Amino acid sequence: MNTNLKISNVTKIYPGCVANDNVSLEFNSGKIYALLGENGAGKSTLVKILSGVIIPDEGKIYLNENNLKLNSPLDAKKNDIGMVFQHFNLFETLSVFENLIIDSDEERESLREKIDTIMKKYNFSIDLDIPVLNLSAGQKQKVEIIRCLIRSPKVLIMDEPTSVLTEQETSELFLSLKKFSEEGILIIYITHKLKEVMQLCDEVAVMRRGKLVSVSEIKNENIESLANKMVGQNLKTIKKKKAKTSSDQLIKITNLNFTSEDPFETNLMDINFSVNRGECLGIAGISGNGQSELFQVLSGEIISEKKSIEFNNNYIGDLSPQERREYLMAFSPEDRLEQAAIPQMKIFENVALNNFKSSNFFNNGLINENKIKEHSKKIISDFNVNTDNIELKSQFLSGGNLQKLIIGRELITSPDLLICFNPTWGLDVGAINYIHETLIKINEQNKSIILISTDTDELLKLSDKISVINKGKLSKIMNAEEVTSEKLGILMGGAN
Amino acid sequence: MIKIVKRDQPSRAIFFFTPVLAIFLTLVAGGLIFFILDFKPFEALKFFFIVPIADKYGFSELLLKATPLCLIAIGLSFCFKSNNWNIGAEGQLTFGAIVSGGVALLFYEQEGFYILPIVILAGAIGGMLYASIPAILKTYFNTNEILVSLMLVYVSKLILDYLVVGPWSNPEGFNFPETRQFSDSAKLPLLFEGLRIHAGIFLALAAVVISWFVFYKTYLGFQMKVSGFSLKTARYAGYKGKKMIILVFLISGACAGLAGVGEITGPIGQLHREISPDYGFTAIIVAFLGRLHPVGIIFASLVVAITYLGAETAQIFMQIPKYTGQVFQGMILFFLLASDYLLFFKIKFIGSKK
Repeated sequence: MNTNLKISNVTKIYPGCVANDNVSLEFNSGKIYALLGENGAGKSTLVKILSGVIIPDEGKIYLNENNLKLNSPLDAKKNDIGMVFQHFNLFETLSVFENLIIDSDEERESLREKIDTIMKKYNFSIDLDIPVLNLSAGQKQKVEIIRCLIRSPKVLIMDEPTSVLTEQETSELFLSLKKFSEEGILIIYITHKLKEVMQLCDEVAVMRRGKLVSVSEIKNENIESLANKMVGQNLKTIKKKKAKTSSDQLIKITNLNFTSEDPFETNLMDINFSVNRGECLGIAGISGNGQSELFQVLSGEIISEKKSIEFNNNYIGDLSPQERREYLMAFSPEDRLEQAAIPQMKIFENVALNNFKSSNFFNNGLINENKIKEHSKKIISDFNVNTDNIELKSQFLSGGNLQKLIIGRELITSPDLLICFNPTWGLDVGAINYIHETLIKINEQNKSIILISTDTDELLKLSDKISVINKGKLSKIMNAEEVTSEKLGILMGGAN
Repeated sequence: MIKIVKRDQPSRAIFFFTPVLAIFLTLVAGGLIFFILDFKPFEALKFFFIVPIADKYGFSELLLKATPLCLIAIGLSFCFKSNNWNIGAEGQLTFGAIVSGGVALLFYEQEGFYILPIVILAGAIGGMLYASIPAILKTYFNTNEILVSLMLVYVSKLILDYLVVGPWSNPEGFNFPETRQFSDSAKLPLLFEGLRIHAGIFLALAAVVISWFVFYKTYLGFQMKVSGFSLKTARYAGYKGKKMIILVFLISGACAGLAGVGEITGPIGQLHREISPDYGFTAIIVAFLGRLHPVGIIFASLVVAITYLGAETAQIFMQIPKYTGQVFQGMILFFLLASDYLLFFKIKFIGSKK
């Protein structure tokens, strides 16, 4: 049976921004559709409209010629539209089975049979009776997919599904999606990763600033043409020159351990590495393998043994982040909105979070507002933050501009080492390029970087050396030229 | 059609408007309760909110009640702003009163200008000592400060009880549970002849000014603000979290202790069983009604103080139980929390489109 999904003249306006501007699209089963666009292009809004989370201001949705009224996610489910969100909606402490039956009113026994059949059919092997917290990201995603499949959906929407997967898990996912498609499920795949679109999809719709800019068949496109459509301009490709080989050691980590009391955190086991001046060490891994703990240990949010971290010939393992900054370290955490910056505070107040003695932001315990403002203006102009109002609350900055502000705040004091954690997570291509250029520039100035990232392409582009973190252990350190994304994928999956 | 829409950002105007709305709703609901209980609503409200402050004496009583509320609420706002939930100001008030009362008794029938400052200081230190218990337990043993500070309230009340009945009770007092009267040098001076308002009000005003300065002009205030928004960010910025927790608890305890001093060295002039009609708890309402802003707290303490006076007046003139005062205090907090919904959502009236 054929499924036809039609979006007709959908418009959704938020104050100050048109998220979807008169978008019309048509999908037919048997094909896999990509919905491509930068962050903020409006693809999430469109998808949320399809799944009933957001109600459009204007426009209609038709499924097989029936006009759908999608006022809640439940309506979408009833109309056989399944959705797997980027962030999993699972109860970590409940078992897989309990998670699967939680929104269903069928009998447990018949559901169990149904689930078993689905798993056999698609070769999923997951223990239904263990708690979800013991699953890998890839397995969790399969649970989400099974949850959709139980309802035999006509449409399956996947929102940026590969952001937490390894290469291997990604190719498994692609195989499953192709199988679903052959069976007549209409697949809509949302992403900003061009390579995946080329690999997986048959047709691609590109959105930019709320508008649909093109619909075309994949065979008529290539990565460059799609990138240009997505950004709306010709992008220059960034390449890093090979770093001058330097043997001047800047930071050395020796036998670093961290045992957490929190069962949801990862213990770090016997971490050893060193970074030379002018070098970028990339640390790859699937999220949740100890990256966040490693970042905190390096930044001083978690104190470790004094001698486990040697920086510039000083032992600093027991120093606080503020004290480490005095030794010229800088930190850019992963979570922009909850850690690196405070959205409710003004731009210049956020700048004051990185407080050096020599910056004189606070004299004798008093706030030196003029100094902070002066400094903030310099950051805004030096790092291309798209505003001239430092009194603006930082929640009004886009993700890209906020990240530029944060990186700028950390770099303007020219630290010897920048430690950053997923610095381009969720940013649009333009901002990613800017951040990457900035990071390359730091290395050229003989400063060092530790780049913890879940984005393999980013790591291969920027790193001189690469290591992989898996379950709190670091792999051996490899030269970036010898590494391929396949090899990283295998290490990320835990193989040696 | 009525539609509820999420705001893009919390509105600044609404931020200061919702307390006013909460008070208004409290009056309406209060009137309704009076009506159901067969009292004339408008008359009851008049006795509650207007009659008590219609004369000079009433106004002095208003300030007298508002003083401890304001002082404690200012102290609490240091804690609340930085994500520390000190619920035990009542205990800190009581313990501050015990320590300062003890010192005042040491100077029994002695005179000297130096006595009052020592008595005041003793009260502040007592409050600080008592507040340091939940603070230290929180920082070093990860206990929950809400529970610890709350439970210590009852401990302090029992200590006070023991002292005024036992070792400190007035030898000539016919076994009444109270101490001797403090000497005049250990008492806060009255401001006007015949009125009970005393110099404690200056302590409250000083606390207002100092807290405003600390909140908005100092590094400590900045750190408190950051910690209040996100403890993760505070840790990332490298603020010494433990030091700050202890500091804000000490400040808060000192303010509550001073409020205790005001109570016993002001109008009462001795320690007895019931030195505070739960000022320490009511001040939590005052702090939030005043939006943790020093100036807001002044207004909030005046509003809430009226409920104390009104309850008494209404009991005398209309035989309405004085516990109605607490009902009003509860309703204010309830309606404040409810109207805070408007901070994040707005109500839109949409005419039908067709």
